[in-house]
Amino acid sequence: MRVESPEAWFCALGEALGQAEEADIAAYLAALGLAARLPTLVVASWSQAAEIARTPAERWWSVEEAERARLERVARLDPADREWLALTDALHGAAAVAAARSGCADQGLIRAAAGAATYAAHQYRLARDAGAGDEHPFVRKYALFSGGRWPLGVYGDRFAIF
Amino acid sequence: MSAYPPVKTVEEFFKQPAEYQDAVRKIVRSHALNELYGAQVFDEPAIALAPTPYAKWLTCRVAMEEYHHHVRFKELADQIGVKPEALDTKNKRPLNIFEFPLKTWEEFCVIKMLGDLAEILQVEDLLHCSFVPLRNIARTTMPEEKFHAQFGADFCVDLVEAPESRARVQDAINRFYPEAPKFFGASGSKNNELYRKYGIKLRKNEEMRADYIARAKDIVGKLELELPEIAVAA
Repeated sequence: MRVESPEAWFCALGEALGQAEEADIAAYLAALGLAARLPTLVVASWSQAAEIARTPAERWWSVEEAERARLERVARLDPADREWLALTDALHGAAAVAAARSGCADQGLIRAAAGAATYAAHQYRLARDAGAGDEHPFVRKYALFSGGRWPLGVYGDRFAIF
Repeated sequence: MSAYPPVKTVEEFFKQPAEYQDAVRKIVRSHALNELYGAQVFDEPAIALAPTPYAKWLTCRVAMEEYHHHVRFKELADQIGVKPEALDTKNKRPLNIFEFPLKTWEEFCVIKMLGDLAEILQVEDLLHCSFVPLRNIARTTMPEEKFHAQFGADFCVDLVEAPESRARVQDAINRFYPEAPKFFGASGSKNNELYRKYGIKLRKNEEMRADYIARAKDIVGKLELELPEIAVAA
């Protein structure tokens, strides 16, 4: 399964949301069975992203994991695939460049961003391999990542995105 | 520095004595398998145990780095003639260190802090290896191995702040650490003698084990925790 070029990943962090992104967020939340109209917090900085991501978000994470487990009953991916690992390294590079542009040198946070993008790409590949269409939540979330965002998830009663 | 002349390419490797080739194959195979076991039984499952998205994503990235280490060693193994079946985890019992039953986030942080420290020492010993392709893999993976061990230590620093999780970290150390020194093999090992003869490795198993124990004691001491007493093999 081909995954899109990582060139735009992490390039739109902190920017105001466009209509298409708002639509992706609403569709993503609705497809996960979460409230589609949760307030959205647009995170402004790497440090704010770190602060938010360091708080538990178990309900949202569990809903995503339940869907991942369902997909893995149909599709399995090899985490040691050479092409896949090259993509994950490219995502790490994209996160590092974006962080450097903002004066962030936190290696842990950069790796966490890369890990988030990697997880999203993995979920996307699973969904596509299982035959899911464009409305699948993992496809919607992937669209946000590949468009340069870092969706941070649902914390309490709001959706956070960098 | 190695007294054995550098073996710069895979082509040169095949011109070395059979004893040299076998010794390098054993080490490359061991690293390829250990990296894979570690990623499969510790890093990937730990994503579910991590308490926050930040910790989950960071663990995900660490898992990918470990898989990538496996692939680097495996590709070299393929090039130097290690048989594919020798690289299948189904055909080789893992070291005891990989049989630790991971169930909690505290355990995982201890495994990164003390288990990856053991891996650092093994990789350090290859930084001046006479087989240059293996030396280069060691040098490529070393910064990430150091990050992984620091990742474990940093999370342990956070965990020991609360009495309950502090007790769980000490308990994980008590159960994980006793197996870790065995990672360095037997004292007076014949294999290790060959590795040093050919400049593949630098130190005796017992020297590495003693260094590991000293470094582990220092790291755990900084957390104001203790290593359990263990009987070290002669």
